[in-house]
This record gives sequence, structure tokens and C-alpha cells, in this order.
Amino acid sequence: MDFLAVEGLTKFFGGLAAVYKVGFTIREGEIIGLIGPNGSGKTTVLNLITGFLKPNAGRVTLAGRNVTGLPPHQMCRNGVARTFQLTKSFLCCTVLQNVMIARMYGRSPAPNLRVAAKEATEILVQVGLADKANFLARDLTLMERKMLELARALAAQPSLLLLDELMAGLNPAETEVTMQLIRKIRDSGVTILVVEHIVKAILGLSDRVIVLNMGQKIAEGPPQEIVHDPHVIEVYLGKAHHA
Amino acid sequence: MTAKKGISLALLVAGVAALWLVPSMGVSDSLLNLLILMFIYTMLASSWNILGGYTGQVNLGHAAFFGLGTLVARILYTGGRPLFLALLAACVVPVAFSMLIGIPAFRLRLRGDYFTIGTLALSQILYITIGNVLPKITYLPIADIQNYQLGPRYHIILASALFTIGVAYALVKSRLGLGMVAVRENEDAAESLGINAFAHKLLALAVSAFLGGLTGGAYAYYQTSYYFNYTFSPPWSLEPVTMTFIGGVGTIHGPVIGAVFFVLLKEWLVMKVGEYHLIIFGVLFLLVVLFLPGGLVEAWERIRRVFTHRPAGKIVLSPSAEGSDLSGNSLASERKEVPMI
Repeated sequence: MDFLAVEGLTKFFGGLAAVYKVGFTIREGEIIGLIGPNGSGKTTVLNLITGFLKPNAGRVTLAGRNVTGLPPHQMCRNGVARTFQLTKSFLCCTVLQNVMIARMYGRSPAPNLRVAAKEATEILVQVGLADKANFLARDLTLMERKMLELARALAAQPSLLLLDELMAGLNPAETEVTMQLIRKIRDSGVTILVVEHIVKAILGLSDRVIVLNMGQKIAEGPPQEIVHDPHVIEVYLGKAHHA
Repeated sequence: MTAKKGISLALLVAGVAALWLVPSMGVSDSLLNLLILMFIYTMLASSWNILGGYTGQVNLGHAAFFGLGTLVARILYTGGRPLFLALLAACVVPVAFSMLIGIPAFRLRLRGDYFTIGTLALSQILYITIGNVLPKITYLPIADIQNYQLGPRYHIILASALFTIGVAYALVKSRLGLGMVAVRENEDAAESLGINAFAHKLLALAVSAFLGGLTGGAYAYYQTSYYFNYTFSPPWSLEPVTMTFIGGVGTIHGPVIGAVFFVLLKEWLVMKVGEYHLIIFGVLFLLVVLFLPGGLVEAWERIRRVFTHRPAGKIVLSPSAEGSDLSGNSLASERKEVPMI
């Protein structure tokens, strides 16, 4: 069964169609890649799914339930968690508090602060931030903040995790570690939608890839097919000119 | 850790007991008056801090809640209703009023400045309206003067102050307190984690208005002689902000320290320089915001760190020290169980 179904999703910013009639489905346990050049509407699609933006048209169905236009906190309680491209840590809180807050809310909140602290610590171990638990979030490096984003999203115990350019700005070694982490998260039973514009990272990770260009879906399929799709090559490399 | 906690608790209980017994020690009325002022200003700052400090919604119209509290309590109490009923009404009416600004501002997601300007405007509207509608007279029947006793008033106001601090403490230590801090730190991130930002802001506003109203009720019970619109005047909006920032915004003890410091310094300055004390407080406020954003609480932390030689990177307290209110001691004990790889 389709876990997440998006149909005819459309969003206008003024006269500009940032997202136009985009539709796709995600099955349970898949890792789906969403790629496209800058400004192609990837983040807007994410914002539409998570309720940060309300679509002008279209429908979002989660596990058979129409969730179109629900506010973000309700989407989270329904099991959809996300990270932000520009990290949005709670800067004046410690790393542990950041994750604890998420653990006290989210889909199935911890019963009390003690349990939340314990479980948050476990999540920090998982993402490799355990030794920074009592640091203030504002003192973290970019990589660490990205991992904190991930830890916080995991603490909300999502069934669907949306990662917005989690790997942008990371070096190859960090990217590799992160990719393995994402696979592990999937293996623990979380369905994942990865937004990236680093094609390489997404090809190695995704079961299927969806390509957006100028707000419209131009291709969808397994990574090997996508890299050979003439349309996708045109978008990324430009059109071949024949003399 | 538990021993240290036990000592702090014992000190707290002893301090409260000592404060409670002050009137029976045969001290002068002027000392009692000074303490009562400290209690009232503590309540004023603590109630403001819940919304402004913990939830990050700067309210420049706290005088509206305080003033409504005084107005309602005064009318009911001097009208012969029981004190408890007067105080309760003094709490409830400002809550209803706060929803007038809170629901539209938070529902439309008018951020920061709009809410701030809105609160300022509403409090000024009330100030002017009350000044025009109600007579500029002070109310003090002979019977009241004859029966006026400072002792019982002292105890009721002290109890109200303890209640205010207790409510603030319980709230910020709870799950809702975590949510409020999350909303302050980053509303989008909070929403994405399942926190209903609107509900949390509204709750913080309601509690702030409730306790601000209680402060007003306590003031009206203490001070029977003042113009009706006096308690709506701008200083009652600005002083809680000043006190909270001087003490330490977003902490429980900050507003208490700020209020005690403020009352003492104000008493002294008013004697020395009169109205010029306003300028001095203005400058002090600016200096604190610029150079010591965590207020006296932060200053104390810095001094302590110098003497205990703690590395700066490992602090649990944040510069604005909300860390202490969030993590609590349970976290510190939890740390021992961290499975390190």
C-alpha cells in the first residue's frame, strides 16, 4: 500500500508556479530521493507535505488518511518529521535538551522528563553526538548541527522522515557516514524522503528517484534509469547543440 | 547532588520561614513596607517573565493585566466582597482581557514586534480610558484607615508571591515549559516537532495575565489610596521588563533577584537624586542588555566559574541560564548512565 501519496500538488507564489501538479507515491520502508536544480521546488514540496505551506491545489494522503493542509505540529503527531536545510536548532539549549524537547512531543511522547532524557541520550549515541550532550547547540559545528537536526527529528519517532539537504555542506567522509546512518534508520522501519541536489549522494542511497525541474516532475524511477534519462541530463547539463 | 539539593531546599524553607516571621519580630513598619514592595515587584517581574522570558513574546503592556487586577480587586473588596473572591476575580479578568490581544496576534502568526506593539497600545488605551471614565479620586473610607493593619497584608502578599514563583517554577519545569522554550528558540522547529506554538503562546500569556492580575490584586489590597488609572500607567509595563533583564531573563530566580535589587536601588536613588533615577535605570537596562544579557544570574555564574575553574565548554547553564530550569538535577544524574561507545 502507498504510505504517502501526493496528487496534483500545486503552489503559487504570486504568479509563479513554484510547484505545479506534482504527484508521486512512497511505499512503506522505501528511501525516495527528490532531486532537481536550485529553485526547482524541492523544499516547497517538503513544506507542502509537512504543512508549513498550504497547497493551492492537490492532495496529500498519509496511510490512507487525507492530511492536506494540516498544520505542522499535527503532521508531526501523525508521524511525519523533518529536518531543515538551514538548521534550526534551539540555540540556547543544550544538545540533550534539544532532543529531549522533541522526545517530550512528537508522535509518541515520553511519559516524563527522566525517560525523555534517557531516550534522547540513546538517540545522541546513534548519531554520534553523545559526547556533546551538554554543549549548547550554538557551539556546534555545521556537521554537528545537521546531526542534531536528525537526532531531533528521530526523537519525534516518525514513521516518515523528510530530510532536507541534510548532506549539503558536508565533506565526502561525513557524507558517507551520514548515508550509512540514513540506511540504518530505514532498516529500523522508517520511510524516508531525501531531498538533495547532490546527485551522487542520492543515487547511492535511494530506491527510487523523483526529479523536479521548475516546479514540475520530469522523471521518476530507479537511480540507474534516472541518470540515463535524456530529460534529466538536459536539465542538469544543458541541451546538446547539433551543428 | 542530592545532598546539595537537600541543603538548597533547607535554606529555601528557612528563608521563607524567616520572611514569614518578620512581622512578629517587632520590626518597623518601613521595613515591612519595603519587603512588601519587594514581594509585589517580584510577582510583577515573575509573571512577565513567563511570557517574555520563557516564551519569547515581549509584552510591553503588562500594566494592563496589573491594572485590571487592581481595579477589579479594589472595586470588589471595598464593595464588601470577601478578599479571596476579590483576588480571584483580579486574576480571571486580566486573563479574559489578554485573549483579546493574544488570540488575534498569535493566530495570525503576527511575529514579535506586532504583538509587542499591540500590547503597548492596549495598555495605553486602558490607561487613558480608565483615566477619563473613572474619577480621579483616591478612595479611603475612615473605617478602612482605622482598621488598616500591615501584618495580615504582609502575610497575604508574601503568600501570593510564593504562589506566583511556585506556579512559574512548576510550569517551566513541566513538559509545557520545554515547549514554551522551544517556541521561543525557534517556532518553526518547535512546530515540526509536534509543538502547537499557538497553544503554548496563548497558555503562557494566560498564566502571565493571571499572575499579573494577582499582583494587581495584592497591590490593591495593600495600597488603598491611589488614582484609578495610576496602576495602568507605563512604568508598571516597563519596570517588570527592566527587573527581569537585570536579574536574568528566562530563569526562575532572575526576576526575584532583579526585583530585590530594583526596589533597594530605587529606594536609595529616589532619596538621593529624585526623578533622575529613571535615567539611571534606563542606562542600567541598556548596559545589561548589551553586555550582560543573562543579567545578575549570568554575572554570578561567571564569577563562580572563575573560582571553581570550570572549563567554559562544559557548562550546563546557558548564558541566559535557562539550562538550569530545563535540565534540572535529574538530567545530571541521568548522565552517569550514558552508554559511551
